[in-house]
Amino acid sequence: MTTNGAPVNPPVNLPGERSHENLRNYPPVEDWDHHVEYDAKAHPRKVPHTYSLIPTVCFNCESSCGLLAYVDHEDLSIKKFEGNPAHPGSRGRNCAKGPATINQVHDPERILYPLRRVGERGSGQFERVSWDEAVADIAGRIRRAIVEGRKDEVMYHVGRPGEDGFVERVLQAWGVDGHNSHTNVCSSGGRSGYTHWMGYDRPSPDYANAKTIVLLSSHLETGHYFNPHAQRIMEAKQNGAKLAVLDLRLSNTASQADLWISPWPGSEGVIFLAVASYLLRTGRVAREYLRRWVNWDVYLERLHPDAQIDFEVFLERLTADYAHYTFEHAAAEAHVPVEQIERLAAMVADADTRLATHTWRSAAAGNLGGWQIARCLFFLNVLTGSVGTEGGTHPNGWDKIIAHFPEMPEANDAWSEMLWPKEYPLTTNEMSILLPHLLKDGRGHLEVYFSRVYNPLWVNPDGFTWIDVLKDESKMGLHVALTPTWSESATFADYVLPMGHASERHDTMSFETHTSKWLAFRQPVTRVAMEQQGIPYRDSRDANPGEVWEENEFWFEVSWQIDPDGALGIRKFFESKARPGERMTQDEYYDILFSHSVPGLPAAAEGQGLTPLQYMRKYGVFEVAKDLYRLDERTLTDAELEGAEADARGVLRKPVSDDTQPPLVGEAGAVGVVHADGTKTAGWLSPSRKLELFSTTLADWGWPEHATPGYIESQVSARKVDRDNDEFVLMPNFRLPTLIHTRSGNAKYLTEISNTHPLWFNQSDAVAMGLTTGDLVRVTTEIGHFIVRVWATEAIRPGVVGLSHHMGRWQQDGHPGSRWVMGKVDLDRSDAGIWKLRYTEGVKPFTSEDPDSERIYWDDPGVHQNLTFPVQPDPISGMHCWHQKVRIEKARPDDQYGDVEVDVNKSRDVYRRWLSMTRPGPGPGGLRRPEFLMRHVTPKRKAYRAAAVAGTGDGADR
Amino acid sequence: MQYGFAIDQRTCIGCHACTVACKTEHEVPLGQFRTWVKYVDSGSFPDTTRSFGVMRCNHCTDAPCVKICPTTALYKRDDGIVDFDKERCIGCKSCMQACPYDAIYIDADTHTAAKCNLCAHRVDEGLEPACVVVCPTHSIWVGDLEDPQSGIAKLVAANETAVRASEQNTGPNVFYLGADRAVLDPLAAPVDDTYIWAKPDSQRLRNAGDLTPDPVTNARTTLNTAHPRPWGWKVVTYLWTKGVGAGALALALIAHLMGIEMGVVGDYVAPALALFGAATTGALLVWDLKRPERFLFIFLKSNFTSWLVLGSYVLSAFSAGAVLWLLAVALDVGWALTLLAWVGIPVSALMAAYTAFLFGQAEGRDLWQSPLLFWHLIVQALMVGSGALAVAGLFVDLSDSAWRLLAVAFVSATVLHLLMLLVEYAGKHPSRQAAVAARIVTHGRYARLFWLGAVLPAAVGVLLGALTWGGASVVLLALAGVIAQPALLAYESAFVRAGQDPPLS
Repeated sequence: MTTNGAPVNPPVNLPGERSHENLRNYPPVEDWDHHVEYDAKAHPRKVPHTYSLIPTVCFNCESSCGLLAYVDHEDLSIKKFEGNPAHPGSRGRNCAKGPATINQVHDPERILYPLRRVGERGSGQFERVSWDEAVADIAGRIRRAIVEGRKDEVMYHVGRPGEDGFVERVLQAWGVDGHNSHTNVCSSGGRSGYTHWMGYDRPSPDYANAKTIVLLSSHLETGHYFNPHAQRIMEAKQNGAKLAVLDLRLSNTASQADLWISPWPGSEGVIFLAVASYLLRTGRVAREYLRRWVNWDVYLERLHPDAQIDFEVFLERLTADYAHYTFEHAAAEAHVPVEQIERLAAMVADADTRLATHTWRSAAAGNLGGWQIARCLFFLNVLTGSVGTEGGTHPNGWDKIIAHFPEMPEANDAWSEMLWPKEYPLTTNEMSILLPHLLKDGRGHLEVYFSRVYNPLWVNPDGFTWIDVLKDESKMGLHVALTPTWSESATFADYVLPMGHASERHDTMSFETHTSKWLAFRQPVTRVAMEQQGIPYRDSRDANPGEVWEENEFWFEVSWQIDPDGALGIRKFFESKARPGERMTQDEYYDILFSHSVPGLPAAAEGQGLTPLQYMRKYGVFEVAKDLYRLDERTLTDAELEGAEADARGVLRKPVSDDTQPPLVGEAGAVGVVHADGTKTAGWLSPSRKLELFSTTLADWGWPEHATPGYIESQVSARKVDRDNDEFVLMPNFRLPTLIHTRSGNAKYLTEISNTHPLWFNQSDAVAMGLTTGDLVRVTTEIGHFIVRVWATEAIRPGVVGLSHHMGRWQQDGHPGSRWVMGKVDLDRSDAGIWKLRYTEGVKPFTSEDPDSERIYWDDPGVHQNLTFPVQPDPISGMHCWHQKVRIEKARPDDQYGDVEVDVNKSRDVYRRWLSMTRPGPGPGGLRRPEFLMRHVTPKRKAYRAAAVAGTGDGADR
Repeated sequence: MQYGFAIDQRTCIGCHACTVACKTEHEVPLGQFRTWVKYVDSGSFPDTTRSFGVMRCNHCTDAPCVKICPTTALYKRDDGIVDFDKERCIGCKSCMQACPYDAIYIDADTHTAAKCNLCAHRVDEGLEPACVVVCPTHSIWVGDLEDPQSGIAKLVAANETAVRASEQNTGPNVFYLGADRAVLDPLAAPVDDTYIWAKPDSQRLRNAGDLTPDPVTNARTTLNTAHPRPWGWKVVTYLWTKGVGAGALALALIAHLMGIEMGVVGDYVAPALALFGAATTGALLVWDLKRPERFLFIFLKSNFTSWLVLGSYVLSAFSAGAVLWLLAVALDVGWALTLLAWVGIPVSALMAAYTAFLFGQAEGRDLWQSPLLFWHLIVQALMVGSGALAVAGLFVDLSDSAWRLLAVAFVSATVLHLLMLLVEYAGKHPSRQAAVAARIVTHGRYARLFWLGAVLPAAVGVLLGALTWGGASVVLLALAGVIAQPALLAYESAFVRAGQDPPLS
């Protein structure tokens, strides 16, 4: 038996393999390339099929769980997806979205061929075009922009990345500053809170070993990282851990908690500060940990300049500084019983150093100052010394590996003010929600805009302004939508190019699911099966449905055509090493990558008689390391120390120049820290390499009042919501366990489980307003309103209403779409800028090659609420603050379910108002942005200096 | 050996992975589920809770679906799995009535019964069922419950467990750990107008008003799946056609034995009604099959524990008897008539009332489990049979004694019918489900149909029949006979529907 021609291998221990008595969960790995399974539908008749079980990675949520594709030897069709027992994160198990991948692959509504628009942009009419024509046009435009020095005019705007490091390298090769993410509608608030502690922008809780788990977000239900986290949270609970959940609604996570607190939105931080204050005044803090790892000296210097620089003095002052955060104060601010906060404090105090905490989106994404909520939550980890410990919370970087291709292009020196506008120097991620406003301001122009597995006009706030800009060819020269399935945004593209689903592309993925560093490999499984069987192919288009092309090959081809003769120095990064002058294949790319950039993989592969690539094709994943704790204490190697010198604060730095490229996170050249006892350890990626209780960055970049963990009053605090005037807080962004953004609607088995869009409305509020379940209400925001149905329930706190993410899907009559989920709408814009959307048809059964499409029994397309939200970027983190203050009334006579109306003039006003809350850069040293903050494609250091590079970024210069 | 599941609701997170993995494994059509997750919300803010329950076939030790299946399409394997063979299924839906767990559906692609078969095709190859493999929290356990050393047996032995519908005594083999009673008890948590993120089907919405929410827990079902009533107007109608035919022939036979001359009515009308009733019944039965072209499987692949099979033989015997009666009349063979009468009366009774045994096998429908049902069906048959013969009597010359027989039969049967209704619906019900169903009939959405469509006309019929019995015009009895027919249809309609209305999941 062989795999890709390799000899028989010794079995490896798969972390997800299990057997009870005579039943096992997966066929033995030796059988994976010829597993015989009997037809389930023919049963009890025995109809055998022979399958290759080919590992890949789920492409629905961000957890990147392992999948095994069952590829039928008979016709190379994919029968189903199960989990991959070799994957350390998911351990062979999946949520509903994993197996539902098969629906997406077989979706009769999916896009199979490259399309080019016919008529004006947004007309919704497309014609089939060849890949050659599309690539030539796109590459030609990018080439012109690069040659003419317009390095901020090519933008790759990514929703679900689903990969690590590939496109960053492509963009770096092009020399453009064009990486845009979805992150500031997602997690930049939480990231900001973590970043100002430790540089790393995400937490990685060691749930499995925790004594107390505190969650702000719903990891038993969705999100980062649903399935892997849920496994470990429930394991910990079985072992006696206590779970506290803060959520405005009774999520499925809250329903499993030992303590559910439903605070007034935005008050979460005060609750954590009250717990912190309790820990301090009762002395239940990890003194030695704080002494060694917190920048307490800076705290005293900056806040108590008269005080002696002494740790005991620090503890006294800190205790006094937080003394006013009492349980009673928090209970009053959060509108919750004081006993709940006392219970939380006791749970945290009892955790010892085994406190696992996590927030993702949720409160940090909902509120002005939400980033401080994450900062306050991590404060509890710091105080209890539960940082990087067994059962504590780690930085993501310890449990994640980004495998970079060994040959990286030189860093660029451009700076795009449309991604990093000067008003937001501390934004943790690109100011993506402002893109249409910045373009309307005349700050720039885009030659080519890629929306990639991203639905910007749907998911972002203020979608009608997006439509205005997407339709304006003077602002966006070319819009290319890279997507496997139709989205609202794709109909406003010039090219719609079909990209592959989870089983149709190569990517590497790694996420901090637990205390393990694993690298998973997504594969075009049919292509792999063809290779196993010796069937020739040109590229993934020969294996995928229709002309679906894997993105990597597409990027290689575009890059090649940008620089066909190699004169721009771009082509060489996409050229075969083995066959100079020819394009590098994906096999060659990953062969090199896995051979050079994944520690331990070559040896492990050799142990099995495989090449690194063969190993990854066979198992789909490799665990580089596991159970890494306290890496802050890692002693620096001689190589790291060579040439490094300690600065005044003890930070060990190597010399850098203006041409040095800072790392993904952290300052260029910084390698570690010298402690008071003389030890030299790696420490953190913050400027001080310590945990920054006092953030000099925040203080020195204009926000000294927020330099320590504190409370910022939300835009929807109880004080600002007039309950007597039927004002409420709308929580518009909670996810359901079975759907993921707008990408999973085409999975019929998921949509049939979740297909209505009720407004969660506290029962007592409903009674007070004379409303019952099913009643239509008009929900008015600052820029417009929408009409929705009420669900009167006890599962949400009074004063707050909730409307889930995912729904409110639409297509215009005669435009392409996904009929599993989209209703038909009339879309109308007045000259004065009043947009109206009204459904003319709900979801209906339709005829296709899948008989199930005629069995659709749901009809609710939902309500596209995001259209009515103005942009509300937090002036520090840049996060869009999702919670909306709304006024609710019974629907008026002419109102219809799903109606949306928005005045885009008002949305401009709100944009300007939030802009006025900023404190623009440059910061110390004339920098545009602190160097240590995470950036996907970091430019050279000189690009950080505001006036350093003329002619790039500032649109006014063009 | 007895394969079964243990479902640990203490760790289940309600994620629906099992549902979807099952659907992709078996390519289950939209709207149909072999396993699914039910949600129940209870309590009041801020002490609200949500409970999950994973629902599926219980692979019962005494599986009622296997007993009732006419063609052994459903069968119990040696390893305890209740499996099915779609090639043998005729789509009669009786298994759906027998199952007290809402576990069976008629597959929209194959039009045959389907359900969880514990992934027998995988188990045969030493692989766990798809739902067990996928479960993120390993909350679904599978294994041999009879092997005390197995993981599942130890888990069940070491923990407090519960099963669904234990009162049905089917020996369910799905054990729940830490499940909320309101999740397992289908009557404990009615639905509101919406689920948490889906819409309740019309059946559940209609039933919502029939269930009383628990004032203490305030439990509400917030997610579940649709289980439409398997049987509708065809079964309702066949109860009537069967009754008319059986009642009419039985009366002719009784008259013959009593020496009462029924003339044309006894000689031809009664057997004609019998044949018409039997033919219509048979036609309706076949029409109601989802695979009508396979109706002969009832005889070719008979499962003799199924009253659907035994009933079909009764139907055949009854039809043959009616034909023989006609022949004997035509050939005027007196001894044969007498012999046929002696044999035919019990056969007619069975024809009218075998449905009581079939309904008795419908373990999921408590309203139909009444011990009175057998006798009630006979009484109903005599009511509509005598009524039909009375109508016929208007058009031929019928002796006074014959009229008297018909009047006595009609009035007695109808009075008995009303008395039995009184016992059935005013008396104490053996189970909560039966009580709910009965209440739906008398006070719920069938109340108007029941009182105005079934009871009132029957009472009027008694009055009219009694007048004829007392010497008034026979037209009144005939009129009563006309009224009685729709009255019985109305009652059967309420009875058949209400029996299937209380939720089982």
